[in-house]
Amino acid sequence: MNGIVDTIKNVLKETDLVLGWTTDPVTGVATPARFHDEKEAEQAVFDSTCAHNLAVHLPRLKDSRVGIVAKGCDARSVIELIIEHEVQREQLAVIGVGCGSLLDVKKIWRRYGYGVAIKDRDDSLLIGGEQVNRDEFIQRKCHGCLEADPDIYDVIAGEVTGEIPTDTVRPHPLHDMFVSLTPAERRSFWREQFSRCIRCYACREVCPMCFCRDVCIMQTQIPRWAGGAVDAKQSEMIQLIRVNHLAGRCTGCGECERACPVGIPLMLLLDEQNHAIEEMFAYGAGASLKARPPLLVFDVNKDIWGKG
Amino acid sequence: MSGGDIKLVGFLCNWCSYAGADMAGTSRMAQPAEMRIVRLPCTGRVNPLLVLKAFQEGADGVLVSGCHPGDCHYNEGNYYAHRRLELLSRMMAVYGIEPERFRYTWISASEGARWAETVTGFTETIRPLGRLNLAGGGARDDDHHQGPAAGSASPAEKR
Repeated sequence: MNGIVDTIKNVLKETDLVLGWTTDPVTGVATPARFHDEKEAEQAVFDSTCAHNLAVHLPRLKDSRVGIVAKGCDARSVIELIIEHEVQREQLAVIGVGCGSLLDVKKIWRRYGYGVAIKDRDDSLLIGGEQVNRDEFIQRKCHGCLEADPDIYDVIAGEVTGEIPTDTVRPHPLHDMFVSLTPAERRSFWREQFSRCIRCYACREVCPMCFCRDVCIMQTQIPRWAGGAVDAKQSEMIQLIRVNHLAGRCTGCGECERACPVGIPLMLLLDEQNHAIEEMFAYGAGASLKARPPLLVFDVNKDIWGKG
Repeated sequence: MSGGDIKLVGFLCNWCSYAGADMAGTSRMAQPAEMRIVRLPCTGRVNPLLVLKAFQEGADGVLVSGCHPGDCHYNEGNYYAHRRLELLSRMMAVYGIEPERFRYTWISASEGARWAETVTGFTETIRPLGRLNLAGGGARDDDHHQGPAAGSASPAEKR
């Protein structure tokens, strides 16, 4: 924790602001914060409740020199944003932090009550003084971890382990159930899931790659891709739009699913698409600064998938 | 228009497949009547969402057809389309749509017989699958805003 404060102070000498986390005074868990000077930076923390992907703020900070604290997954988003010219590498100071899987604070709160004291140590997790099985309260998105440590950084704060905590990596909890369904059963599955959608657009707002903002076609009247009615059909269209617009761009950071207040398993859709894209183009979004998004290019000699 | 219960939508490129379908028609080749054709300038114009929207609005099968690779009248439109359409066809099952309900092909202006064959084969594939009913009982867009009497007027014009 001390490493992060000093590093941010250093980075602030060359940047206008730093995106990081501070401790929320009410709940005691981390909450995103912007640090503009040394005094504010005193409040910075990094711990296992820092689940948010701060890269989502970058496209709206095009005119500033920005420092950003980034975990492995966040760094993939940063790379993808640079590839898509949403931010310039030169305007960024990436403060890399090593991540050993995050806690699902909402799940803890649901079980033990809002604002319960959480103490996460290397070998044990204490919730309200009671020792619990840490594995049970790991963020869902950490199960699909691709990168524990950032691939892109200017400075590293604290320790970097250099490896993914492999024991936490496993498929989406609903994956095995989902793949066993027939298409017709999947239709009912999605219909049931989307019927719970309250159309808060949180999935879009937390997504670093959803930067169209005010011109998002989910809400345009002309053309009207999705209607205003809050029902399963329109909510399904919303997600079809999102999935298709994230083709070859989704870094799998899992923020959409984390933010969804009604718990729709959005990463089932995106994981499948990411797998398909990896299979077709050997491409993973956010893996390399030199890559070109696969759907913006073509290769006459390699694009042969049977049909002709 | 006669035909069975199912509805098929075809997105055809103006230069090759649409002309091919036209050729099949003028040559009086027998073909099933379930297919509704939408003519587009190029398969590069086919937003995958057009296909998915068609399924949502009641299509039971969607066929996209354009010029053979290398023959695109805009040089490279169908190369981009190829990537998108292949990805879309792999995602169909994830969305809960039988993959057979979506197909993309390349048919040139001179291949009227091939068009007739393709559309017949495609219709034969979809018939046993029956209706898709992707949207479930969800109401149509227009119902909420304009009442069922709005009929065919496009919502865009109303706004």
